[in-house]
Amino acid sequence: MSAGLLQQMLIGALLGLSVYLPLRCGQLSLATPGFFAIGGTVAALLSTRIPAFAGTGATSPLPALLLEMGLGGLLAALLAWAIGGTVLRLRGIYLAIATIALVEILRVITLNLPFTGGALGIFGIPQPFATASGYAGFTLVLLALVCWLCARLEQLRLGRAMAAIRDDELAATCVGIDTAAVKLNAFVLSALLAGLTGALAAHFLNSWNAKVGSFDASITTLAFVVFGGSRTWLGPVIGGLVLTALPELLRPVGDLRLIVFGLVILLGPVLFPQGLITPQALQGLGHGLVGLGQQLRGYGHQLLERANGPRRP
Amino acid sequence: MSAAPLLEVAGLSCRFGGLVALNEVSLAVREGEIFGLIGPNGAGKTTLFNVISALTPPSSGRVLWRGQAITRSRPDQLSRLGLARTFQNLRLFDSLSVRDNVLVGLHRFAASPLAAGLLGSSKVRRRQRELEQRALELLALVGLAEEAQLPAASLPYGERRRLELARALATEPRLLLLDEPAAGMNPAEKNDLCELIRAIRDHFDLTVMIIEHHVPLMMRLCDRLAVLNFGERIALGTPEVVRHDSKVIEAYLGSPR
Repeated sequence: MSAGLLQQMLIGALLGLSVYLPLRCGQLSLATPGFFAIGGTVAALLSTRIPAFAGTGATSPLPALLLEMGLGGLLAALLAWAIGGTVLRLRGIYLAIATIALVEILRVITLNLPFTGGALGIFGIPQPFATASGYAGFTLVLLALVCWLCARLEQLRLGRAMAAIRDDELAATCVGIDTAAVKLNAFVLSALLAGLTGALAAHFLNSWNAKVGSFDASITTLAFVVFGGSRTWLGPVIGGLVLTALPELLRPVGDLRLIVFGLVILLGPVLFPQGLITPQALQGLGHGLVGLGQQLRGYGHQLLERANGPRRP
Repeated sequence: MSAAPLLEVAGLSCRFGGLVALNEVSLAVREGEIFGLIGPNGAGKTTLFNVISALTPPSSGRVLWRGQAITRSRPDQLSRLGLARTFQNLRLFDSLSVRDNVLVGLHRFAASPLAAGLLGSSKVRRRQRELEQRALELLALVGLAEEAQLPAASLPYGERRRLELARALATEPRLLLLDEPAAGMNPAEKNDLCELIRAIRDHFDLTVMIIEHHVPLMMRLCDRLAVLNFGERIALGTPEVVRHDSKVIEAYLGSPR
């Protein structure tokens, strides 16, 4: 597996987490690619138009990358905050349709703005890392940090309130949860994550255009979560990694690969309706590992006894 | 008696299309009492609860909390004022553990800055432990301490009812609305529940408004009762007064021909 593919997988995992955050409170938002595109466009514009961000030659300094990620995330979060109050009044499939519309609106705007390069997009985005491994290392650290924050969030008041809203919004509001505020929080966090991931992806891909934030991307990122599971943070991470890697890993199969890929996406939800990773599965895995450890220790003792055997008088 | 009653319902009507679910209902609940709401099926009892807890907007009329109109408030705002309720057809957070259901009820007391929470500062962690302790105390009160770690969905029916009660109590209400808490229970369990409701009222010093079909139980439990029939309040008073009210007898037994 090349470092380039690993980098794409890691970005997939980050986008999966971005879809997961609103879904954790039952909000089916498909806006992630829109916010991803915003972050990328911000980074592409800053680093190709403003000398301070560009660095020298084809390289750009790491602080500039971090600043672009911050700004891209912030702009996406601001947009989410501005429209969230209205959009999040919609439920279920209606919210999904509204967010698809948002992604399309952003795509068409990017296509037609005078400074975003039209259909061709923006080229020659400078590289903060010389190799794909450099990107992958940086993104791995970022993903680990985001995973840790998501795991913490699930233990916190906000994370519990999100799960409560997913289970029963009416009961949640009756025990004093401001459901509109919690949903908006989740939506803004999702946008922030997608935006900063976009800024990183723009540098890695070297060019950025309107096609990045399309309806197709909405469905692909949703598939990460459906496949991996939406109950805990690990699900979308696994889903993002596996489903990004699969089309590449299947190359040896030749023309059949898209069919196999389609079958995996189809069979995933059929065989694992809750996704691959569920809290129960994790618990089972935990018990399994403990059991395995005990068994191994037993073997160890046996081996030791055998080894010690001959020394006995 | 102090100036304004804890909860007052004034001229409340609620229509769904042509159906009049509530028609000019007025009543007042005093601090500290157990106030019963009885009536035949479809009389509008649950609709009245839904209007009081701001889940259903009334067509006309007002709901007052200590004299202040709360008709336009959101349910979560009412929860912060001190109103809690249970549901006739149980609404638990099924994917959460029993303990976490109660912790969600403690939502209001768990506020911390998001950054401090994410980083797990020692202050936040101590507060978290206090809340978990509080949740376990509430579970012990309703007899569910042993089940704290189980998923809520795995509980049998009677225990689900008690969990919903613990979750409602976690919000530290002044007024607790119980919608048919004894539904599906046998007579012995109903008696236990009666005792539990009294104990909770005394322990937390709160006011209880309760819907229940089992009239003898309500006669024993309640300080005062209101009787609804076809959306109208046909009687109001102590169990003794209501028991002998001719309209109530007619609603329950039919009129003598």
